[in-house]
Amino acid sequence: MSTDKQKRMRIYFTGVGGQGTLTATTLLARTAMDAGLDVVAGEVHGMAQRGGVVESVLLLGGWRSPKLDFGEADVLLGFEPLETLRGLPYLRAGGAVFSSADPLPPLSVSLGGAQYPSMEEVEAQTRRVAGQCHFVPCRELGLKAGSAQAGNTVLLSVACASGILPFGVDALEAAIGKYLPPKLQASNLKALELGMAALRI
Amino acid sequence: MSKNPLLDGRRGERHLLLGNEAIVRGALEAGVHMISCYPGTPSSEVPDTFRRLGGEGRYRLEYSVNEKVAFEVAAGGALGGAMSLVTMKHVGLNVAADPLFTAAYTGMPGGLVVLSADDPGCHSSQNEQDNRAYARAAMLPCLEPVSAQEAHDMTREAFRLARELQQPVLLRTTTRVNHMRGPVEFDDLPAAQPLVPFERNPGRFVPVPAVARKRHAAVLDIMEQARALAESSRFNTERAGNAATRLGIIASGVARNYLADALTAGGWDDKVRVLELGMTWPLPEKRLVAFLEQCDRVLVLEEGPALLERDVRALAQREGCKTRLEGKTDSLTELGELSTTLLLRRLAEFLDCPCPVKGGNAQALELPGRPPNLCAGCSHRAVFHAVRQLFGDDAYYSSDIGCYTLGMLPPLKCADFLVCMGSSISAGSGFARASGKTVVAFIGDSTFFHSGMTGLANAVFNRHDIIVVILDNGTTAMTGHQPNPGMVQDMLGENAAHLDIEAIVRAMGVSSCRKVRAFNLKAVTSALEEMRAQTGVRVLIAEEPCALYARRQLKKTQPQVAMVKEQGPDAAHCLETLACPAFYRDGEALAVDESLCTGCMVCLQVGPKSFKARRRDV
Repeated sequence: MSTDKQKRMRIYFTGVGGQGTLTATTLLARTAMDAGLDVVAGEVHGMAQRGGVVESVLLLGGWRSPKLDFGEADVLLGFEPLETLRGLPYLRAGGAVFSSADPLPPLSVSLGGAQYPSMEEVEAQTRRVAGQCHFVPCRELGLKAGSAQAGNTVLLSVACASGILPFGVDALEAAIGKYLPPKLQASNLKALELGMAALRI
Repeated sequence: MSKNPLLDGRRGERHLLLGNEAIVRGALEAGVHMISCYPGTPSSEVPDTFRRLGGEGRYRLEYSVNEKVAFEVAAGGALGGAMSLVTMKHVGLNVAADPLFTAAYTGMPGGLVVLSADDPGCHSSQNEQDNRAYARAAMLPCLEPVSAQEAHDMTREAFRLARELQQPVLLRTTTRVNHMRGPVEFDDLPAAQPLVPFERNPGRFVPVPAVARKRHAAVLDIMEQARALAESSRFNTERAGNAATRLGIIASGVARNYLADALTAGGWDDKVRVLELGMTWPLPEKRLVAFLEQCDRVLVLEEGPALLERDVRALAQREGCKTRLEGKTDSLTELGELSTTLLLRRLAEFLDCPCPVKGGNAQALELPGRPPNLCAGCSHRAVFHAVRQLFGDDAYYSSDIGCYTLGMLPPLKCADFLVCMGSSISAGSGFARASGKTVVAFIGDSTFFHSGMTGLANAVFNRHDIIVVILDNGTTAMTGHQPNPGMVQDMLGENAAHLDIEAIVRAMGVSSCRKVRAFNLKAVTSALEEMRAQTGVRVLIAEEPCALYARRQLKKTQPQVAMVKEQGPDAAHCLETLACPAFYRDGEALAVDESLCTGCMVCLQVGPKSFKARRRDV
């Protein structure tokens, strides 16, 4: 059981600066550490955060390198669908994808110079390489739970509930209780429930 | 204040820490007395964490005006007997190189640790320089952690060495290490550590030529002592998967992580013997030679330039080792960062095994880009818009280091060249003199204090012809809102004093100096029109707090946001020339995203017919 628990896994997170993907990465890292797993997380701060792409990784079970190359991630957590699509090369063949389905168009699209791919296109491309994938209206559910940021917890909840991670939603729930400030607890616990419900649909 | 484990944690506790936080805890466990810094990614969380902790009287932290000054303050502290830490990014050590080389000659009795946070891959930097070269050039012991635990352990070790050898020690990290998180096991914090009383000795501490010549020899002796310590350092480790193997790998820095993962992924742990170097300078030569002699072929792995490889080759040649040495190749280059996949490919070659890396499984797609951008409500955008409308391509734009470097992007296009931090005024001066063109130089408030002031003094002194725009947003925005002398006194607290930029500019002899609100486009434009008609050094100070800083630290939000009242070419023109990220297209119509709009109302000034203000929905 314990060796199974230390199963090696590499998770790639991607989103947009300001969304809170690094906070979500740290929360999942703490969840994993409290579940007794070997944990290394990696992130990049600085210039990229000004509305650019923000990537981070979480390594479980003994991996040491906090930077992934193409084809190395077992799981991709996309907090924005265009970034999920951009991050797909990082996924190994047959890996799992959990993604927000709520677009945040980049400025090039807002200015009318570029076209945002349709959600059908994003999902079709994802299905081509992923063993399983789930697209969830995270922003919408997050707002329902209390804030757009709570949408990140919706996505973490979906991933935990899928059974693919070496810990479940109960571990995430405990980490929310232990590590998030009291004023954010209610919305994040609500988001957790909405995430579980979204997976059942 | 809630308790923070970095200050309150006890021996045996384990906490998930950012690499930079682990450095802080390691320094606290060593008993650090003084910290000075200039912020710069990826080093900034070290001083920022010390600042957040407050320290309860354990240490004194300062944000110095630049890295040279920070280094000198720390060196003075270490001469005065304090365990001192100075932190900066890799290019900052270039600024501090002058005191670095001399501090290495005189030695630092109190103990001086220099954190250089390098940035291979240029995540937030203008180059990939590798500061291991400074350990070699200036003669400093160097430690390179690759995990959060090692960041903690090696920081402690660095202070121990710095006091034992009285030699500055380089703690060299890379972005992936500064910004990784991992569990760290704590020790207790010590009682206050004693200062080392300064003993007057000008024959050592005043490096006039006669002293310096003598000290050069002394430093070579000290580095031989450091080498002896490296031979038995617990951070230099060796393992042999299989006693019979004659294949070896020497790895240093972050390559150690990729190597460990590649060996596991390939199932090759038994096939090689491995020597990992954590204390990477001076090299443990005896140990290296003994390792080489156990191997027929050795592969040297390191990120960046082949510094270790060249040194090992020279050592092998000197010692007459017959081992065949390999290192950088066409596929494993000196460029950028390493990865597990890159090492799997290289190791498959080296071990003559099939490579387990499969081809890519997703084709790279042509997707709309998402480059970093100036925020909605950024005052720099307002000023860049006004400058571009007035000067267009007739002027040349000398840029500097800060958020405003992003002004290079269209449609603002307000950066034509950039040399280094603080260079905009001086490089702009030279450019204008050589080309005879109009030059507008942009510089932020923190960068002005960092090294723009000297460029301005020079421009006045040498009668240069330049328009300088000081983009004063009241903070050090790019790196996370650290204090600088221009910050308002209320935000600085009692340990720092405010300096007035306008008074400095005028005191330097600039007669054409105007101060305006950056969001007042009419005022910005008319000041620039006036300056365009003049010659000599002209300085426009455009003030407006950074939008993020205003919201998060100053707790200021505008009750109003902008909205589109009339669609049409005027609105489209505003979108095309201002390109605020709060604009978006709702079908064919232009709209303003209320959640992004900060209420700066610059769009109302650019397109008065198209935009109006309304109350923010709460």
